[in-house]
Amino acid sequence: MIKKNSNNSFKTFVSKLLVFFIIFFFVDLLIGNLLKKFYFQQESGMNYLTTFSIEKTTTDVVIFGSSRATNIFNTKIFEVNLNMPTYNAGRDGEPIFYHYAILKAILNRYKPKIIVLSMDEADFSKNSDDYDRISVLLPYYKSHPEIRPIITLKRPFEKLKLLSNIYPYNSLMLSIIGGNNSFNKNQYANGFIPLRYTISGPLQTYDYSKEIELDSTKINIYKSFIQDCINANISLYIICSPYIINSIGKDLSIIKAIAIAKEYNIDFFDYSRDTFYTTKPELFADYRHLNEKGVEIFSNTVAEKIKYKTLGLKRVNR
Amino acid sequence: MLFNSFYFLFFFIVVTVLYYTISYTKRWLLLLLSSCYFYMAFVPLYIFILGFTIVVDYVAGIYIEKAQGKRRKYFLVVSLIANIGILCIFKYYNFINDNFSFLLHGFGLSNPIPYLQILLPIGLSFHTFQAMSYTIEVYRGNQKAERHFGIYSLYVMFYPQLVAGPIERPQNLLKQFRQEHKFDSERVFEGLKIMVWGFFKKLVIADRLGIYVNGAYNNVEQQNGMTLLLATIFFSFQIYCDFSGYSDIAIGTARVMGFDLMTNFKRPIFAKSTGNFWKRWHISLSTWFKDYLYFPMGGSKVSVPRWYFNLMVVFLISGLWHGANWTYIIWGGINGFYLVFAIVTQKYRDKFNAFIHIDKFPRFFLFPQVLITFLLISFSRIFFRARTVEDALKIIKKILTFKGSVFNDGTGIILYSCFGIAFLVAVEFKREYYKGSFTLSNHPNFWVRNSYYSFLVILILLFGVFDGGQFIYFQF
Repeated sequence: MIKKNSNNSFKTFVSKLLVFFIIFFFVDLLIGNLLKKFYFQQESGMNYLTTFSIEKTTTDVVIFGSSRATNIFNTKIFEVNLNMPTYNAGRDGEPIFYHYAILKAILNRYKPKIIVLSMDEADFSKNSDDYDRISVLLPYYKSHPEIRPIITLKRPFEKLKLLSNIYPYNSLMLSIIGGNNSFNKNQYANGFIPLRYTISGPLQTYDYSKEIELDSTKINIYKSFIQDCINANISLYIICSPYIINSIGKDLSIIKAIAIAKEYNIDFFDYSRDTFYTTKPELFADYRHLNEKGVEIFSNTVAEKIKYKTLGLKRVNR
Repeated sequence: MLFNSFYFLFFFIVVTVLYYTISYTKRWLLLLLSSCYFYMAFVPLYIFILGFTIVVDYVAGIYIEKAQGKRRKYFLVVSLIANIGILCIFKYYNFINDNFSFLLHGFGLSNPIPYLQILLPIGLSFHTFQAMSYTIEVYRGNQKAERHFGIYSLYVMFYPQLVAGPIERPQNLLKQFRQEHKFDSERVFEGLKIMVWGFFKKLVIADRLGIYVNGAYNNVEQQNGMTLLLATIFFSFQIYCDFSGYSDIAIGTARVMGFDLMTNFKRPIFAKSTGNFWKRWHISLSTWFKDYLYFPMGGSKVSVPRWYFNLMVVFLISGLWHGANWTYIIWGGINGFYLVFAIVTQKYRDKFNAFIHIDKFPRFFLFPQVLITFLLISFSRIFFRARTVEDALKIIKKILTFKGSVFNDGTGIILYSCFGIAFLVAVEFKREYYKGSFTLSNHPNFWVRNSYYSFLVILILLFGVFDGGQFIYFQF
């Protein structure tokens, strides 16, 4: 115990600390709830699209992925080709953790008929930033228990931090303000965000021949994504859209993703080096994203391929 | 173990509670063991390097005190060689070898000396300098040699300042390990308040700015002049908040346990000249160089050319202390040049100041003085932050074009950064120029004071970067 002669001093300390925590508790509660209210009443922006994906999607076709999903898979083209309502649940810069969390939340509510998962090169490479990106899911921790195991992958003490009501909205103040302004409401209602510019300058060279370490957690999440779709009897298609780069060797993540898909008997359409696209820079916005023109061709190609695969017909086009 | 981690928070609470629970005669042992644990949380094996220098300096201290005449110097030299030798092997060996290779390459020869595949022990330069100050002070007769091996080890390893300072002097710290620090709630709160401000600077300002700065400085080719200019200004605030944030947490942690560590920063953003800046920035290192290098070389009490030479040497070595890279040496050289230039032009500047009656309007001229100092220091930091000298030159070239629009990724990073900087400047401005006036942090009303610190914690939760990395100065 603390020494006797300092007892008074220690009591003072404890009582003052207690008062501090009481003040802090109430301020945290008040501000946290205010932020929660404004966060979930957003009508536009990326956070709104995530909330929509988690809580409101009801479409038969759902597309998952990073910006190479949101910018490349045109939902309207999918709807016309497949004759099914389609939603693009992708989000810029997000890795497999995000996609799996959204899938878990969706499967908790209903079962889509077709799921498209867009894969990127280096998706399985070890990168601590990818774990930090899980932070976009923090506002859903309390209301969506099904995604908690994914959120806790972020950092060792995440559960402890989430005792605060403010922490889930860390660094979100500006986007909450933006999302509560209705100036861009319904702009990207189906989640598809087209890129309307064309790549310029020389092509970059990427050396994939170097040995890189793959992240087993990411690979396991990818496997769980596939397994959950199989368990729910959903037709899953995994797609790697084109890149316009000079490459040495092939990306290890894509090689691994194709092998796993094969293991589970899932179709993996690899367009990453498809010469139809790689010879046409005018179809690209940048080296990893097709532009609106490229998207039209690509989305039609993929949607048609899925249509014939789903209906069990022979492939008639590219 | 990083200060900005939950591991540290638990560690700090456990150590502090134990510290006040056990008898004060045993506290040195608790602090020593916890310091070992703290250091070993980085790379456990490097504790042996630290152990080696501790043993050498401990023995050297005793022998310096015992010996007479030239033998005293001999033991001091042994201690200095051991310390500087460790620094040279772990920090400078590959750098020296690299430059040797470059030199040989010029003659068409290849370097047969192999490179070492080693990691730099964390905080090596800090604890080496602290250890060196002990033997030098014993040699000078300002400090008695410490006979208690545990307490001497603790002097080098005291966990709050082990990896990034402040670089303490034996006269200030050693005696404190023998004093009984009774629990004093005011003192504990004072320490906690300093820590909260340190965390605010690190998490809300430094790590936020770091995102932008890293993005710009790690991809120099892709950035335009305006983006690099903004990143350079941001870096000045980032490094200040990162390092002074660390110092605040260190000082606060020590104060909670009853220790007083030296002040390391005195609001350097309000320095009126580059000379004034070095009296406010990393004071524990500046004074170390002043006491153990600049003064022994003669300081300013020598011929004028020798004085300039002394200044340049101190700053070039200071640059090298920061890192084994030409960028740091150039950074040191630029700062040395600033001081020499200031001395050379002193006469003309005094005449000019008299002409514009600067003494009649000191406050009016304060802003341009502070601004020019800030810009000069920021300019030198381009070399400090750039990965290579080539990168630094490219950055300067691009900045001088003043072309392009500032890169903004749409995540509000610039706005958040500016908010952090504005908050910092407001707080430091008040502390610098209106010290005795109204205060929230030390308000006599308990509720006001408490609400202010609750507000700071709320700001950390709202705007802090929790996934930021380690402190910049850890690498030194």
